[in-house]
Amino acid sequence: MSGRIHIQQPGNSVVTDLGRTRGPRFGLPVNGALDQYSARAANILAGNPDNDPLVEITALDFRMTANTDVLIAVTGAPLTLTVGGRPCSQWEPVSVRAGESVSIRGIHRGLRAYLAIHGSIEAETLLGSAAPDTVVGFGRQLRDGTTLVTRRSVGPVRQPYFDLPLFRLGLERPSMGSDLLVDVTDGPDVAEFGESGELLFTSEYTVSGRSNHIGLRLGGELPERTSSGEVLSRGVPVGAVEVPSREELLVLHRGRGVTAGYPVLAVVTSTGLDVLAQARPGDKVRFRKTTAAEATAAHRRSRAQLETLRESVHTVFGLLGIGCRPQWQDLPVAACS
Amino acid sequence: MSVLTVAPTEIYESGDSALRVVAISQASEDNWLTVHRLADWLESCGAEGLHGAVPTYDSVLVEFDPILVSARQVRAFVKLGLLELDHAGEGVQTPREFDVPVVYGGDFGPDLELVAQYQGISTGEVIRLHTEKTYTVRCLGAPAGSPMMDGPAFPKPVPRLKDPRLSVPAGAVAVAGRQAVIAPASAPGGWCVIGQTPLSVLNIRKEPLVPYKPGDILRFRQIATEDFNEFLGMDLEPLELERPR
Repeated sequence: MSGRIHIQQPGNSVVTDLGRTRGPRFGLPVNGALDQYSARAANILAGNPDNDPLVEITALDFRMTANTDVLIAVTGAPLTLTVGGRPCSQWEPVSVRAGESVSIRGIHRGLRAYLAIHGSIEAETLLGSAAPDTVVGFGRQLRDGTTLVTRRSVGPVRQPYFDLPLFRLGLERPSMGSDLLVDVTDGPDVAEFGESGELLFTSEYTVSGRSNHIGLRLGGELPERTSSGEVLSRGVPVGAVEVPSREELLVLHRGRGVTAGYPVLAVVTSTGLDVLAQARPGDKVRFRKTTAAEATAAHRRSRAQLETLRESVHTVFGLLGIGCRPQWQDLPVAACS
Repeated sequence: MSVLTVAPTEIYESGDSALRVVAISQASEDNWLTVHRLADWLESCGAEGLHGAVPTYDSVLVEFDPILVSARQVRAFVKLGLLELDHAGEGVQTPREFDVPVVYGGDFGPDLELVAQYQGISTGEVIRLHTEKTYTVRCLGAPAGSPMMDGPAFPKPVPRLKDPRLSVPAGAVAVAGRQAVIAPASAPGGWCVIGQTPLSVLNIRKEPLVPYKPGDILRFRQIATEDFNEFLGMDLEPLELERPR
């Protein structure tokens, strides 16, 4: 049965997913959840496919109620989550009764939180994705009074054995804070910067307040381009590190325009982009050089953790009858200890 | 119909999820055809983990999911694709043609005077040179699938604005360097805006979102300011289709 979610305090929140991977071919950025690990984890914890629409909440407090029982999961930056006034755990599935207020307050040590709802929410798509694209005017910024339609309701989940915590899935949470270490690989145009390219690894950079989903602007010592010829517009990867002005370093994120004419000094790795997704204005960033092979190995290790989580969630949800008949009655007690 | 001469290429790593393939022959037309045909081939080969390809003038950015495929596998796909193009050898698709009505100057083209002054020619001459040329869409660019084209035969390249505009309206017809473009959507921009078309270029309820593809042909036609509203709200469509003129 579908239900409705009423947004009472939208803060700065949108309905999104993992992005519009078909977009770049048509000149549209990929967009989607900036912290992909946290977004995937939220959907997995809510028992959803990774790419289901979910809510991305940036920096500001958020509050909603549902008119049916729902199961949610909140990941991303540390924050205070309460349901019906009760403090609840982040990075775990949380059962919410119809009418209870879900409140997310005090996002800190990071910038973005993700709220997934079991069964997900209805969302229009463009080229196969619900991710907002501010340039073409697509997508859903949540407002005070916005109603979201959930695709499925979940009966209240009760702990069958005494007062043991309902879930304790033990997923590794990404480390966050104000000193960020970001892995990059050499960019295709690194040679154009000569020796000054090394400055990227010896300097510390400060995140500017003019940063957003399109790109982060970083102040600090800037590498300088040694060649001067006009560069033909080329497709630029998400994560491209460029030096477009004498004032700031620009690191392109998922909202980046797909083509540009600046040389690419370095490219932030997939896991490094998740770190930058949580950077707050004023945070310090250091870059560390890695190779694409090492970056991919790290990316695969972090994805393997999510796969393990998916299996645990599947098992636990099966036992508790979330999305099906409960099976825990059939099990010997030892299996649950 | 031209037979494709596949240009020699170089492949550069571009992070852990993309490769940049650059065509390096002396013939820019061969480079352009090679990267676009390669992009089409990669798009249609259906390889798992390939997100897509962004071809521009002499290069194509190939994006992939590094969890599903390795950079080495994608390199192998690219090389296979280039071999296939060499063997296929058939000509390019017949381009479609688009007629773009434009109001030049005034509020619609705030930089027309500036461009004329810089070029040392009259505004009428700027308009004549801009409408005289037949443009080939070279690639779809940012923002929103803009049709990137080689610019009109102005005496000099057009410098970008010192202070980029925070918002350029949809339909803006602009020039910069040796390039020309139409803005499909309102966005910030540093190109010189010399006119505006009343036609809607972008339609997010259609797929593809913009009606032209690389290789298609555009012509600009001057219309009077008072005719702007007559076309307003109509979609830019290829000439083969019926459209009241």
